[in-house]
Amino acid sequence: MSDVSMDKVNKVYENGFHAVKDMSLDIADGEFMVLVGPSGCGKTTALRMVAGLEDITSGILRIGGKEVNDETPKERDIAMVFQNYALYPHMTVAQNIGFALKLRKLPKNELDAKVKEAAGILGLTDWLDRKPGQLSGGQRQRVAMGRAIVRQPSVFLMDEPLSNLDAKLRVQMRAEVARIQRQIGVSTIYVTHDQVEAMTMGDRVTVMRDGTLQQVDTPQNLYDSPDNIFVAAFIGSPAQNLYDATVGEGARSIKLGSQDVELPESVVLKRPGLRAYAGKEVVVGMRPEHLRAESSTSTGPKIVGEVDLVESLGSELVVHFTIDAHRVIAEGAVDKDEAAALQSGEGVARVEAKTPVKPGDRVTFSVDIEDMQFFDPKTGLAVRG
Amino acid sequence: MTTTSSDTEQVPVAAPLVGRPDVNRKRMARLGWGFTTPSLIVIGLVTIFPIVYSVVLSFSAATVTGNGVALNGFTGSNYSLVLSSSKWHYALGFTIIYTLVTVLVELVFGTLIALVLERLTAGRGLMMALLLIPWSMITVINAELWGYIYQGTYGVADAILNAVGLGHPNILGQSTPAIIGLMIADIWKTTPFVAILVLAGLVMLPGDIYEAAEVDGSSGWSTFWRITVPLLRPTLALAVMFRVLQAFGLFDLPYVLTNGGPGTATTSLAILGYNVIFKNLSFGPGAAVATTSALLVLLGCLLSLRTFRVQVGKED
Ligand SMILES: Nc1ncnc2c1ncn2[C@@H]1O[C@H](COP(=O)(O)OP(=O)(O)O)[C@@H](O)[C@H]1O
Ligand SMILES: [Mg+2]
Repeated sequence: MSDVSMDKVNKVYENGFHAVKDMSLDIADGEFMVLVGPSGCGKTTALRMVAGLEDITSGILRIGGKEVNDETPKERDIAMVFQNYALYPHMTVAQNIGFALKLRKLPKNELDAKVKEAAGILGLTDWLDRKPGQLSGGQRQRVAMGRAIVRQPSVFLMDEPLSNLDAKLRVQMRAEVARIQRQIGVSTIYVTHDQVEAMTMGDRVTVMRDGTLQQVDTPQNLYDSPDNIFVAAFIGSPAQNLYDATVGEGARSIKLGSQDVELPESVVLKRPGLRAYAGKEVVVGMRPEHLRAESSTSTGPKIVGEVDLVESLGSELVVHFTIDAHRVIAEGAVDKDEAAALQSGEGVARVEAKTPVKPGDRVTFSVDIEDMQFFDPKTGLAVRG
Repeated sequence: MTTTSSDTEQVPVAAPLVGRPDVNRKRMARLGWGFTTPSLIVIGLVTIFPIVYSVVLSFSAATVTGNGVALNGFTGSNYSLVLSSSKWHYALGFTIIYTLVTVLVELVFGTLIALVLERLTAGRGLMMALLLIPWSMITVINAELWGYIYQGTYGVADAILNAVGLGHPNILGQSTPAIIGLMIADIWKTTPFVAILVLAGLVMLPGDIYEAAEVDGSSGWSTFWRITVPLLRPTLALAVMFRVLQAFGLFDLPYVLTNGGPGTATTSLAILGYNVIFKNLSFGPGAAVATTSALLVLLGCLLSLRTFRVQVGKED
């Protein structure tokens, strides 16, 4: 068990592609760190550099305080779960799990005991004599996990280990992987492109984009106070409503399309930086649950939108609406289809299940203005202090 | 390119059949038989018939007559004659040893070459092309070539042996050197084929399994023996089977190089069968040699498949 520290780590591939740029990240002993970001942002590259499967172009990688740049995966004492599991097809489940221990010349009875213990933790006891070809996807995934945990390594590395499972199994395994990690308490770096996985599993989450680290924080902090527009758009489902807006004189209101939204004093007090934006453009972010379709008698800031579509999830309604403000799309944070739908200025609100809304209605949403997020349109950075 | 059954099922057929898979499949099957029957008949005539005929011949007291061969009824004496003949015993022993040695050496060298080729990043194509020259050479020409090399007065091999102080050994004129000479010529020609076959198997192996092995702490020989060889088993089995089939039917190399000699030192089963039929005109015993050889090679292939414990084309 050890902490992992990356200090200005870079990766430039032979073809000149700069895949990871000045990445500095500290993972505490026993911590579950999730690396999340859109496909191609360099997560796998970063993970493979920690594993020792990819050379580090520049920067320093330390495990347990010791520089390990030039060490082999074996010397680093890491264990890895691969996206396609990479099980040995000619070995049984028991042999797969025990392979690393066998190479370390562990006595047979000790090896068997450890394999049994790992299999027990993963519910694989009945499958020990099967070959990987005879297992389901979920079981193979468990074998891959078993191969990693049986060694009690310094660091666990997992590259999208659940992405080949169907949706239901994925949710189940999500909880299970997190539970096992806590049970054995090994520092873990877990790569995923799925922000829901990141939010539900990680002690902390690192968001990456185009090889650059965007923000490292707890899931809640990422959600509540993203450092920039990209993180704001990437984290959360349905995605946050981000619009171009103009701050009114004296920062007392926000002009959102043709609508004026009142800005209480308290909001500006919490974010004194906003004052400098008076009369200037800003990007505002509103989480879908911060828009409420309440009775029109309530006071406070409001926006009016025209309803396009209502999706009932049973527990709540997801209301898609349009306002005449320009929607901001952080490239790469949402997929292309979604981005196209957003062009029109569409927003999303999550409202109570019984709310009487239907497509074509003009609905007044009251805005939880204290939770509104503000970003500089040029730098994309959050406006706070 | 392989065609899977799902591909063929997507071949567009007459409209009324669409959506009725059972009728469809029967129709398609009949159509398939219709297309293949003519070629099956031709194949039957040119391969099945000679095989059946030589089996029949091997059980006949056949004699040569003015207008061909007369079968003259059933007899088992051809087999008792062949199986008790010391010539057959020698040919069998020679063929088996020849097969074992050449296949083993070719497998080891072929695998080593394949491992080197796999690591080559540049020039792999050129190396493969160069390697394939011996393999693409017609055996008879290969034999003539080695004939010059072994030649007792101006041959290269002879000159080299002379230079290291072994005089002029007349390689093809002595039993053991002649046998070794034949083996070398065969190994030179066929190792590249094994190498290419193994290389094809190697490049198909999934890379992440090797990374998993590296992370598990395996390296070098351990990875080779514990990962590569087991995963390559089907490929190796295929290579061995091909080679056993070929080596056991050894004919043209000794026919050209040594004509089965000196004496009978390089008389393989095929050479023996040929001599019995076409020199002695003993059709019955000759056919018996051929038939027993075919049975033995079948047995050899099954045994080599058993050793590798695979059914080719089937995983696990
Ligand atoms: N061996 C390589 N050579 C050149 N470029 C590569 C190589 N491997 C990955 N890349 C590039 O580096 C970028 C990051 O890749 P990767 O780390 O796999 O992303 P992610 O895991 O986040 O999807 C991608 O643009 C990819 O095309
Ligand atoms: Mg990846």
